[in-house]
Amino acid sequence: MASRARWRPSRRALGLLGASALVTASLLALPGPEPVGAQGQSSAAAREAQTLAGDESAPGPKQPIPFSHALHAGTYQIECLYCHTGTDRSMAAGVPSVESCMGCHSQFGADLEGVQILQRYWDEKKPIEWVQIHRLPEHVQFPHHRHVKAGVACQTCHGPVQEMHKVYLVPDTKWWPWGTPARKLEMGWCISCHRENEATQDCFACHY
Amino acid sequence: MPEIDRREFLKLVGASAGAAAAAGCSEPVEKLIPYVIQPEEITPGIPVYYASTCQECPAGCGLLVKTREGRPIKLEGNPSHPINRGSLCARGQAAIGRTYHPDRYPGPQRRNQAGQLEPVSWDEAIRLLARKVQEAGPGTWLLSGEPGPTAGRWIDRWLTAVGAGGRVVHEPFAPEAVREATSAVFGVASEPLFDLSDTDLVLDFASDFLEIGPSPVEHGRQLAAARDVAAARGRTARLVSVGPRLSMTASNADEWVSARPGSEGLLALAVARAALDAGAGSPEARQALAGLLEHFAPERVAGQTGVDAATIVRLGRAAARARHAVALPPGVSVTARRAKASAAAVLLLNHLLGAVGRSVRIPPAPAEGRRRPSYRETLALVDAMKSSKVKLLLVADANPLYSLPVASGFAAALEKVPFVVSFASAADETSARAHLILPDHTPLESWGDAAPRLGVRSLLQPTVRPLHDTRAFVDTLLDVGRAMGSEVAAKLPPGSFRNLLEEAWADTDWRTALAGGGVFEGASPAPSLPLTPGATRLEVAEPLLEGDGEWVLLPVTSGLLYDGRGANLPWLQEVPDPVTKVAWQSWAEISHATAGRLGVELGDVLAVETPAGRLEVPAFPRGGIRDDVIGVPIGQGHTVGRYASDAEHGRPDAPRGVNVIQVLPAATDEAGGRAWLAARARVQKTGRFQRVAVVQTSQNQRKRRLGEAVSLAALAAGDAHAPAANGHGEAAAETHGDGHEHELLKPYDAAKDSAPDSPYRWGMAIDLDRCTSCNACVVACYVENNVPVVGETRTLQARQMSWLRLERWVGDGDLEGGRKLPIGAKEAPGAVDVRHTPQLCQHCGAAPCEPVCPVLATYHTPEGLNGMIYNRCVGTRYCSNNCPYKVRRFSYFDYSRENWPGLLSLMLNPDVTVRGQGVMEKCTFCVQRIAAARHTATLEGRTIRDGEVTTACAQACPTQAITFGNLKDEKSRVVQASHDPVRSYHALHELNTRPAITYLAKVKRGVFEEEA
Repeated sequence: MASRARWRPSRRALGLLGASALVTASLLALPGPEPVGAQGQSSAAAREAQTLAGDESAPGPKQPIPFSHALHAGTYQIECLYCHTGTDRSMAAGVPSVESCMGCHSQFGADLEGVQILQRYWDEKKPIEWVQIHRLPEHVQFPHHRHVKAGVACQTCHGPVQEMHKVYLVPDTKWWPWGTPARKLEMGWCISCHRENEATQDCFACHY
Repeated sequence: MPEIDRREFLKLVGASAGAAAAAGCSEPVEKLIPYVIQPEEITPGIPVYYASTCQECPAGCGLLVKTREGRPIKLEGNPSHPINRGSLCARGQAAIGRTYHPDRYPGPQRRNQAGQLEPVSWDEAIRLLARKVQEAGPGTWLLSGEPGPTAGRWIDRWLTAVGAGGRVVHEPFAPEAVREATSAVFGVASEPLFDLSDTDLVLDFASDFLEIGPSPVEHGRQLAAARDVAAARGRTARLVSVGPRLSMTASNADEWVSARPGSEGLLALAVARAALDAGAGSPEARQALAGLLEHFAPERVAGQTGVDAATIVRLGRAAARARHAVALPPGVSVTARRAKASAAAVLLLNHLLGAVGRSVRIPPAPAEGRRRPSYRETLALVDAMKSSKVKLLLVADANPLYSLPVASGFAAALEKVPFVVSFASAADETSARAHLILPDHTPLESWGDAAPRLGVRSLLQPTVRPLHDTRAFVDTLLDVGRAMGSEVAAKLPPGSFRNLLEEAWADTDWRTALAGGGVFEGASPAPSLPLTPGATRLEVAEPLLEGDGEWVLLPVTSGLLYDGRGANLPWLQEVPDPVTKVAWQSWAEISHATAGRLGVELGDVLAVETPAGRLEVPAFPRGGIRDDVIGVPIGQGHTVGRYASDAEHGRPDAPRGVNVIQVLPAATDEAGGRAWLAARARVQKTGRFQRVAVVQTSQNQRKRRLGEAVSLAALAAGDAHAPAANGHGEAAAETHGDGHEHELLKPYDAAKDSAPDSPYRWGMAIDLDRCTSCNACVVACYVENNVPVVGETRTLQARQMSWLRLERWVGDGDLEGGRKLPIGAKEAPGAVDVRHTPQLCQHCGAAPCEPVCPVLATYHTPEGLNGMIYNRCVGTRYCSNNCPYKVRRFSYFDYSRENWPGLLSLMLNPDVTVRGQGVMEKCTFCVQRIAAARHTATLEGRTIRDGEVTTACAQACPTQAITFGNLKDEKSRVVQASHDPVRSYHALHELNTRPAITYLAKVKRGVFEEEA
């Protein structure tokens, strides 16, 4: 690598080892799909999850890869922050890089169509263009790290992602005291939670 | 580590969400595009800083480049760099725009038969240039700005290896006369280093040291330290400015001595004589100089300099009395044919005053062989070009077609060169005439080093992958050499310039140096050098000027546009000149007497004619210029560049303003340095009129006391009423008794805060005695807060969008019986009373803007900020009408679409909303920085520490005039600074707005009086 001032020892290799260790461990510890090797056949559950994630009739936009959150976050119990790194340190939520995905999938699931698409992205060194589902309105700043550290579950805003094969915006409506509805990710929806938890209701905290 | 490095990642990915409209869908589909490989140091949303070096002028300030998701978004000063210590001037702040500039060359180009530029591949371009170098051989010459030491060394080796003729360093503002004078006086051909921090008298001989150099940020800081009234009450340093014009530097002086331009040397010797008579100097120095000074009695010199003998004697006595006096040699605009003698005279004055070895350090001459800027060599090259001896001209980091006088014949000489190659990264006048363009990276994309002075070695490192198909200049040269065959290639090193740089720095810990920005040693002891035997053989005399005009044509240097290189950076055009407050245009400064004689007023176009040419430029009458001088600023008049030329009015080939260099003779001083002050001009009224884009149309504050000042005597007496019982308050104080007891005049009281639960009440202290109006804060604000640049037309419509402006007030002003006086009418020689007032949202505790908003878009936050919620604003503009400080700005146009063309939008700060059309905006006290600090502090379970968060303006300020912090923390620096019993005041306090900003009045030190 080019010598840059800002430099730290590589964690990538460690991450790779850690990834396989974690997945293996969770597979061994949990009942459910049998562990599979790189050459082996993926489990029926994995294939089914992929089918469901790619189901065009299901709610939610079509994604470039039929990636099942229910399989990864639900069945395999991988922590959200394991892939969405930085969410506890930064305003922005991290979306995993192709390399992160390949950390595990260079060893698992090569027979799955989704992983093959992933492999093609990796081979071509192209980023995956995911369709955004949870989008805040304009002119608002949302600090993910503050909410994560405050113990707000990801599901509070993102819905029960661990149960969704194909992620979609789960509708939710909160009601202002004077009876007007605020849909999910609208300001009234944020405020109702801030009100319940006695968090700031200062406009300038989010709008600047 | 895989082969792909961080730069590859950036090429491979778009870091942020890109938008793509899906057909048949009302809402656009937004994409989340993560990295293919996420660089280890990058976490989206968290900035990464890289240390580098500013390349905007030769001062060599250290940078911290703030990058977000791999792209630089802001330049900040490197706090550990000894030259700028964390501050950065306006030019440095604006330099970020070079990387994203829409005028950049996308890749190598060559001129075809039809004279049009067409893209060419690098391989082809290098083969072509290799063939041309081979053909031209010793007819190959390089004309460039001053490269870094490592680059310079390898350029020289390359020139030798390919058998080229040589190279010339062209740096228009290089202080060659001072270097030659130091050589003549002390026998060392180097530029003296001035340290003002421990002086009590600075005699500035039109040096423009706060605007141009040699090191404006450093000297601004040192002057502020020397003048700090809190540190040494009553013993503060004085600055006396000698010169033909009340420049920005002179506006910050305590006394302006109006002297004929070019007579600085005479005056310096006369002051030395007066000081000698008053008993100054060591016996040796007195003895050495007595013979020379005999001929420069104040009475004799008075007529030649335009300064009366009494003033000269007074200055001489003050200098003799001062503990540590220092004199600064003449700057660019008064560099005349006798510039070397003038500079030598000032050095001799320093010698007499015992400043050499203390405040004036003469560093050893640079190592032999290091090429320095030379105007003589530049003119010699032009002569060689004229006589067709130059077959191939390489131009890098220089724009000679703009910066050399027409009279030098450079344009015609360029026609005679069969093949011209430019390495410019963006289009300029010279590259527009080149046959081949091999664009270099911008400094933010480059490796490199700088050695601005002994003991300071500074590094440049790339902070972003090159945005265009460009190549490092030295790498291009090496590739050309290698393409010339194995014989040449054998003389050249393998590898790239980056490898060569690392080798050159092999004596250091490369990683530490890179992370810290360089290697900085402490100041080495400065020996007090003896005079050379011939030091006192000076031919100091009046300047020799060409032409028979009545006025001396003074080329005025601009701290914003510098030698014209800043003209294509929109912020430097948009920010008004610190003295005249004119933006985007050229003007001719004349005195009121001249204006009266010519029968002209502001905006009447004058024809200025010298033996070298003629130009037409609108008049700007003011008090702060001599009657026998006409001043035209350097920097405008470009014919190439989106912002530098008149492209705004659909004429991209026409100049914006005028280039005064075009009417200057190609004169040199005794040693061959460039003589800028070389012509007399005839001035005539043309009868035409041009509206002048003056941002501040009056410098008379009409006793409103926006910019306050206290005399040194009042300060010493601790006269608490001086500024506090002010304005309407004079009457108020009478009516209500003691000013401080009155409700309106009470300082901020944390116990009575409207939000007692909040741990913070953000506030600011602005010390007008430190502010020099350098505009660093203004440009920093533009860049930090995505403030749009509106251009000349809309500036004329008073639609500038700046959140922070610098007001210039001359004295207390007066009501003038309702008449409006011309701008600068009150400027006069003698004691200077110019107050520079940074004006921004005062974040009033009782803000007049808040109650009038019908939609509660502006309101008071629990932390004491005056919040402005853009998406709630409906654009009634009531708030702006009700704001007494006039600091609110309204977006009449959708700047978000048009203001950041091309890649410029990549430099937007992602933490700050880009405001749309029809909303109000104003200073937020950099709330995004407060929010970031609050997040960090809360996550660590504490409150924000003092100094943890600062605004962009306070951070940039070279003199630390601005202090930002929490008013509820008694120990915070802002509270300490605000609690000045004499100087602190609130602007327009009588309106009871309870501002969060406390101004500290400027200190009027006055002229030196004769000792009783």
